[in-house]
Amino acid sequence: MTYPTFIWLIGILLLASPVIYLVGRITRREDSTAPVARWLALAAVLGAWLPYLLALRDTNASMTVGAVALTMDGLGLLLAALSLALGTLVVVYSMRYMENEAGEEKYYSLLVAMIGVMIGLGTATDIFNLWLWFEAMAITSYVLVSFYRNKPLALEAGVKYLVQSAAGSMLILVGVALVLMQTGTLDIAEIRALAEPTPGFIVAGALFIIGFGVKAALVPLHTWLPDAYTQAPSGISAILSGVVTEAGLIAMLRALSALVAISASWGLLLMIFGALNMLVGNLLALRQTQVRRILAFSSLPHIGYMLIGLGIGISTGVANGLDGSMFHLLNHGLMKALAFLAAGTLLWVLHVAGTDHDELVTADLSGAGRRYPIVALAFSIAVLGLGGLPPLAGFMSKWQIFVSGFQTGDALIMATVVFAGLMSVLSLAYYAPLVNAIYRTVPSSVVAHGPTIPVLMQVPLALMALAVLVIGLWPSLLSWLAAPAAEALLAAFGG
Amino acid sequence: MVSWLILLVIGLPWLGAAAAFFMREARPRALHTLAVAVSVVSAACAVALLPFATSEVALSLPVGGVFGDFTFIPDGMAIVLSIIATVIGSLAVIFSINYMEGEKQLGRYYALVLLFIGAMCGLVLSGSLLLMFFFWEITALCSYALISFDNDNPKAVEGGLKALIITQFGGVGLLAGALIAYGTLGTYQIPVFLAQAQTLAPALLSVMAFGFLAAAAAKSAQLPFHTWLPSAMEAPTPISALIHAATMVNAGVYLLARFYPAFEAVPGWTTAVVIVGALTALLAAIMAIVSNDLKEVLAYSTVSQLGYMVYGIGVGGVLAAQFHLLSHAVFKALLFLGAGAVIHALGTRDMRRMGGLGKEMPLVRAVFVVGALALAGIPPIFNGFWSKDMILEAGAEGGPTWAYIIMLAVAGLTALYCARMVWMVFYGERRSTAHVHDAPTAMRVALIPLAIGTVTTWLLIGPFGRLFGDTMPTHDLHLVNLGGMAAGAAAQLVIALPVIAIGLLAFWFRDRLSGVTRALGWLAALARADFGFELANRVVAGAARGAAGVVRETQTGQLNWNAVGILVGLALVLAVLALR
Repeated sequence: MTYPTFIWLIGILLLASPVIYLVGRITRREDSTAPVARWLALAAVLGAWLPYLLALRDTNASMTVGAVALTMDGLGLLLAALSLALGTLVVVYSMRYMENEAGEEKYYSLLVAMIGVMIGLGTATDIFNLWLWFEAMAITSYVLVSFYRNKPLALEAGVKYLVQSAAGSMLILVGVALVLMQTGTLDIAEIRALAEPTPGFIVAGALFIIGFGVKAALVPLHTWLPDAYTQAPSGISAILSGVVTEAGLIAMLRALSALVAISASWGLLLMIFGALNMLVGNLLALRQTQVRRILAFSSLPHIGYMLIGLGIGISTGVANGLDGSMFHLLNHGLMKALAFLAAGTLLWVLHVAGTDHDELVTADLSGAGRRYPIVALAFSIAVLGLGGLPPLAGFMSKWQIFVSGFQTGDALIMATVVFAGLMSVLSLAYYAPLVNAIYRTVPSSVVAHGPTIPVLMQVPLALMALAVLVIGLWPSLLSWLAAPAAEALLAAFGG
Repeated sequence: MVSWLILLVIGLPWLGAAAAFFMREARPRALHTLAVAVSVVSAACAVALLPFATSEVALSLPVGGVFGDFTFIPDGMAIVLSIIATVIGSLAVIFSINYMEGEKQLGRYYALVLLFIGAMCGLVLSGSLLLMFFFWEITALCSYALISFDNDNPKAVEGGLKALIITQFGGVGLLAGALIAYGTLGTYQIPVFLAQAQTLAPALLSVMAFGFLAAAAAKSAQLPFHTWLPSAMEAPTPISALIHAATMVNAGVYLLARFYPAFEAVPGWTTAVVIVGALTALLAAIMAIVSNDLKEVLAYSTVSQLGYMVYGIGVGGVLAAQFHLLSHAVFKALLFLGAGAVIHALGTRDMRRMGGLGKEMPLVRAVFVVGALALAGIPPIFNGFWSKDMILEAGAEGGPTWAYIIMLAVAGLTALYCARMVWMVFYGERRSTAHVHDAPTAMRVALIPLAIGTVTTWLLIGPFGRLFGDTMPTHDLHLVNLGGMAAGAAAQLVIALPVIAIGLLAFWFRDRLSGVTRALGWLAALARADFGFELANRVVAGAARGAAGVVRETQTGQLNWNAVGILVGLALVLAVLALR
């Protein structure tokens, strides 16, 4: 039997994970600084690129084992591209960031597994397997959030994250059971044909939205997010904010697409959550002084923009809404991961390397522009891009989402888009001061004594910053990824 | 050829910006040279565009999908504004050699200035609404970053943020307008929109027209958004001259002029434009009279003169408004740079600590007086006089009488604050003991061409009008030649000159008018309080912070409470699903 190439993609990563752990563990028993785990991890993520590129030519490839079918469609490819790209950059970044940490092999093993699982999540075609992949993703991320296991705050963050995710997970499982009870099948396409607007299905739909919504950080289910994002090692923060949250969103869309016929309100619901996310997220970030907490809260409005676009696409069939959301999903992943990595670099060099685990606050940034020009520029590009300023990527994807709203010609939707525009302006009120702080000339006490930053950590930052700029100048560069994903969504929601 | 020129005008400063950012700070001379070279070549390219002026798309970059084609149309208005941006940009850069000497982060400074110059040219040259908005926002970004260039000064940081937020807030109007155009016509191309604007639903066109007006008012510092410009004076003075007097603040006027043919028939739009322009001109002039900060006086005078231009467009005088834009760009850049020379020498912006500086700074005094005479609208050789009279003429013909009377009165107020400013800085008693010196070489190189421009650009009205007339077919321009302008100006002169004279006399006899001054004390107090607009800003900002404080309370960090959130979410979803 020949396997489709995407199976190799997932397989390489999932098989590499235990190998990384075992070999890393064994070599570290001999020599507590052995770098084997990180090199194996790098080899695994780099090795996964080949099957990924091959899988690109083979869209909608499918494999069935028993009752389980996996299909790599446009949406799956998009998620795979984002996971793999950020994963690779984070592995490179972590080589120096994590080199002195005990348990390095655990870190890489879980990171590689998480990337593989997220790619797998994108290929699920039945709701139970969707849940399984989703749980697997959650389990790898719990441990990584609490990676600093001697730090009470990290443990607290992990517990909150675990409890809330588990609650969501239970709701999903109940939803799956409800659907199975009424249709006798788990397959998304089959359910779509059988589902009817009865209370049983409606409750299942609500459970899916809330269950997956915890991971996708819908307001008011978002409360775990600031702690988890800020207590995790910076590389993990980047992955959590850049792709795990989005994977939750994609899982929610997959599950909802099975129940598309039972209600006309899915799009409306997504837009309501979108508006809530923008408003609450921006206000939460506005008066924060901890840099990583600002970035964490600012994920909420960005999920909000995506939800608005998705809601528009699903409720009116305007393709730009879906396309724009997928484009924004990629851009946000890139920009937010960059912001976390850059902030993480400063945190590492200013606090962690000096062996204190204080949080990085805005005042610490003073003078970093002169001391660490590349990191400062990368960070500035990331936050200004998140604020939606051109010529950076975030401007273009927001624009596409906004366009879709005006293409509907619906006054309420247009008003929502104008609201989103105003929220984007409000967000500058917390992004811009970060840039102001970083370009002060008087260095903060930590910057004044800060050591130099290894080149290897700066390389991913420079590449990502360049990408944010290039996409901002030439926005159709990523449409080969976003457009098929939007098409897959449009097909799933019967547009 | 023409497409290369367009790419160079925008691209060269941008490449220069990237290079400057990464250059070693330790070698300021190389940085100065790079910035001057790039901006001067870019200016030459902008001038070289003149023979290629056209109403057609000269360069099109197909980006595809929802982003359409990025097109560039070098018509008369675009080229004139590009020349203003690059030439005054070059002079500001040259001025900076002396002004920014010894400053830290010079690379960042020049990078942002050059990024701005390229973006400003892109803004006026672009033929696509998306592309225009794209450059529009980049200019706002540069403006913000340069206002708060001295990030160690909290006032500078605050001023930068204020400018960013207010202009972006207004910019949402432009965003909505551009989206309406694309949503209904399926294209971003400005000529297509201008040709088909009347096919839009009246309500949508109306939203668009007023959205653009809001964006223009925010960008050009018009009521009720003007408060950011005085706060923007924390920027280094060459930046004030370039961005906050000669170029970026004109973008709003440009926007209104560009889209005037589409919006003039929208009910109430021209009236609204006239009201905004006239009230802004009046209130800003009053505020300029009571301010004691040299740059602030100039900032308010900019707001007031922009009010003239906005008013000019409202009464149908698009060409007059654009001609005044040119005059104002030249003489206001001159005034700001002159002020920069004074501030650089003296180390303060407070006019009460100046006085009697004319003896030590004869050149600066000479050019500053030239600029002030142009600003006050004194005949016959100063460009400000001619273009202001053109606007007044257009107002007398096509505008409401009350607004015309206001604008006449503002001419008198302008003369008054100009006289006061020049007197407080260069004449009277010396109130500071600091040792001052006249402008050094690079500053002179920047000041003298601007002074020459101030007394000559009005001669260009004939070719200026033809350039606009030939390349802007959708605009109904009232073209005039030099003789026609002189005849029209003569008629206005009879009315305006006495008003200006009253303004000057009021300053001359200020001691005898102390009774009047006392009687108007309430007005001065109001003007110092910015007529309550600053308070409105604070209320809005305070409301946002207050709301943030309330929402923060919900992030308790308690797991029980977080679980409640999940239940509330579930109830919300079920409610929506059940009710629909």
